[in-house]
Amino acid sequence: MKVLLVDDSGTMRTIQKRCLSKLGIEDVTEAEDGVQALELFVAANFDIVLSDWNMPNMDGLQLLKEIRQRNKDIPVIMITTEAERARVVTAIQAGVSDYLVKPFTPDSLKSKLERWVTSNA
Amino acid sequence: MPSSSTLGKSELTAEFVNPIISSTISVFEMMLGCTPKRTGLSLKQDLIPQHELSAVIGISGRAAGTLVLSLSKSVGIGVLDRMVGITTTEINDEVCDAVCELANMIAGSAKAQLEHLEASISIPNIITGKGHTVHYPSNVSPICIAFDSEIGTFSIEAGFSDR
Repeated sequence: MKVLLVDDSGTMRTIQKRCLSKLGIEDVTEAEDGVQALELFVAANFDIVLSDWNMPNMDGLQLLKEIRQRNKDIPVIMITTEAERARVVTAIQAGVSDYLVKPFTPDSLKSKLERWVTSNA
Repeated sequence: MPSSSTLGKSELTAEFVNPIISSTISVFEMMLGCTPKRTGLSLKQDLIPQHELSAVIGISGRAAGTLVLSLSKSVGIGVLDRMVGITTTEINDEVCDAVCELANMIAGSAKAQLEHLEASISIPNIITGKGHTVHYPSNVSPICIAFDSEIGTFSIEAGFSDR
């Protein structure tokens, strides 16, 4: 499984990569913002995208919309501090597949990822 | 509950106090595995944060203001160690990134509890150095919420005005 991991925080990318590794997923490509992520997404095939919302240059919501213009099926999980109902609804309307609010416990991230990793293995 | 437009500047800042406290405790518990205790709540008399490392987040929307996570060097280093198990002795990019993310989560979690303010948060910036200043909206009296934790003392400082 090929994962595109998008977060402007290296700390958060490290935490998520370790969680993916525990699930046996090592093929992880990292991006620091939406612009970089979109370039990577267009250039290669991925099985799942994990993306932050608030990032410089292009945020996660715009990235999601760009991805959905190109691919309606790939799972995109938003992992973000944006917890308000209106924000979640906005993301759902833009085509997000799943949503995890920061802060999260390692177990909640693992169980969220497990669902998609298992169904797309 | 009064709307933000009916609140005075001090009242609006006060409205943030409980969400900030609960968010701080929750974020520290989940991300660092420690439970901070609130040790003080006061009005700030100057613009100098309590500690030498500040993660500064701007808040906009129906409330405008600034939230600062103020840490000592040792607590900043402790944050990185607790979050990702990386040990260092200096304030480097990794420490700053971890502290920024922690502040981002605290601000995001607090604003989620104040949904009626329709607030947005900026990407955090780090300021370091003893005696540095952080400015708030004019005529706002910022508050300082002090905490103690297993990795040391820190504070959240914040001030808001309505729009």
